[in-house]
Amino acid sequence: MRRRAREALTGYAFLLPALALFAVLGVYTIVYGLLLSFARWNGFTAHWSWVGIGNYLDLLYRDAAQAPQVRSAAINTAVIMVGIPLLTVVAGLPLALALNRITRLRTALRTIFFLPYVTAGVAVFYAWSYVLQPEGSVNWLLQTLGLGTLAQPQGFLGNPTTALPTLIVVQAWSAIPVAMLLYLAGLQAIDPEVLDAARVDGASGVRTVTAVIWPLLRPITAAVIMLNLRDALQGFQLFLVVTNGGPGGHTNVLGLQTYNLAFFSDLRPTLGLSSALGWMLFVVALVLAGINVRVLRSRT
Amino acid sequence: MKARVIAYVILAIYTVVSVYPFAWMVSAAFKNSTDVFAGGQLIPAHPTLSTFARTWGELDFVRYFGNSLVVTAATTAGVLVVYSLAGYAFAVLRFPGRRLLYAGFLALLFVPGITVLLPVVILQQQLGLLGTRLGIILPFVNGTAPLSILLLTNGFRSVPSELRESARCDGASEFRTFLSIYLPASRPALVTVALLTAVPTWNEYVLTRVSLNDPALFTLPLGLQSLTSTTAPQYNIVMAASLIVVVPVVVLFVLLQRYFVNGLVGAVKG
Repeated sequence: MRRRAREALTGYAFLLPALALFAVLGVYTIVYGLLLSFARWNGFTAHWSWVGIGNYLDLLYRDAAQAPQVRSAAINTAVIMVGIPLLTVVAGLPLALALNRITRLRTALRTIFFLPYVTAGVAVFYAWSYVLQPEGSVNWLLQTLGLGTLAQPQGFLGNPTTALPTLIVVQAWSAIPVAMLLYLAGLQAIDPEVLDAARVDGASGVRTVTAVIWPLLRPITAAVIMLNLRDALQGFQLFLVVTNGGPGGHTNVLGLQTYNLAFFSDLRPTLGLSSALGWMLFVVALVLAGINVRVLRSRT
Repeated sequence: MKARVIAYVILAIYTVVSVYPFAWMVSAAFKNSTDVFAGGQLIPAHPTLSTFARTWGELDFVRYFGNSLVVTAATTAGVLVVYSLAGYAFAVLRFPGRRLLYAGFLALLFVPGITVLLPVVILQQQLGLLGTRLGIILPFVNGTAPLSILLLTNGFRSVPSELRESARCDGASEFRTFLSIYLPASRPALVTVALLTAVPTWNEYVLTRVSLNDPALFTLPLGLQSLTSTTAPQYNIVMAASLIVVVPVVVLFVLLQRYFVNGLVGAVKG
């Protein structure tokens, strides 16, 4: 009995630093943010003025300045939530299949393919800005290859129609390595006898992939899609660094909108609006997580 | 045979795609201002080290590099201390509320960073930590909690419990057992957590940007961003600075990549 009490006390003592951080930076900030989402504040005055669910209504439809911005950011976010996971799966699986097929160079290639993931950050985003600018190497390369009609005189990020698709490609470029790695692990876990059986039955390579491998890898595809949905919903660093929502709001996303409402609205009382938008993102993230759990349960 | 040729073609194409921006980053970093403005040409016509020298010395990147090292090292050390203790408690010790607390930490994974970003900055201000290194290190440490606890708890669970029993028989305290048996036995998990903390911290930009005001404390990403705040950024300098940010990460990854790979696969499975 005494031994159990002692062990419990030791357990709490070991947890103490983690719990202290969790209480202050986790629980406190979450509650604070939730309360702030029901108030109006510019960050400088002494008091908040409570507005109930007013901030949420303003964001959704009521405020003539905010609501249209939120709506277009939501549409852009929805577009990248389709585009990024799709591109990641479409590129990640063939790469894993190809890597699984070869024997030589596999480790070296895996290392190279992983660079976009580990280096993802401001530095690489600037490198993309550099190659995508009007005089940049992508335009130069297209012209050299005789594909000058595809070149973008305003730059790929300066043209409102190409900016968002370009950012989707760049974001997927950073995400593909993880998808490839997970698919590769999945492929290596498939029983070779299953593939042999398919071959004996006369299935072609393509047929084996579509009829045997793809269904077996479905849990991995679900995981890859969920990871990327989450990042597409919450991540905005690329958008902040490369376009800051431009040109003309064509690459504004909800995370970026929340950020700018919180930190770049001068003295306007938009902190409550920012918190409310952050909480709406939280709710969507929870719904996605709930779907994730159900999908994984039903498949495995 | 045919399939293998197709495989190599796909892989060759994607190798080009993977290294494309890095190749141009290196190229621009070794160009002078005239050549970088002229565009084209992957191989610099007049390769020069002066762009680097200028970025490193005159533009203070040696200081930003030092700041980044301090913040990254302190965050990583903090994560290892705080969450290896917590992971040990969750993996080995029995106490009321264990499952609930564990689930609570993992649930943090679902809170989008942007949702708590503003409250964190307000908290920094309330605690007088806004604009200080400690003010960003603490949220960085807390931000890794779900993943670190997950990986370290799993790591400690795989240590055979007989080791703990025999240490107890020898009269070792709980802390002693943790320190001299569990930590050494879980080195791979510790290295994985260290890497998965250090690399994102090194690259962190969003919170750092709104927390730090004093250029003397700027980390590399902020120093890099300050180069582009002018209307016409000089891309040879920006790319030299980017290379300074990227190279340490690449070196770390190439040396320790199996820990990365284990960590990523482990995180998704868990």
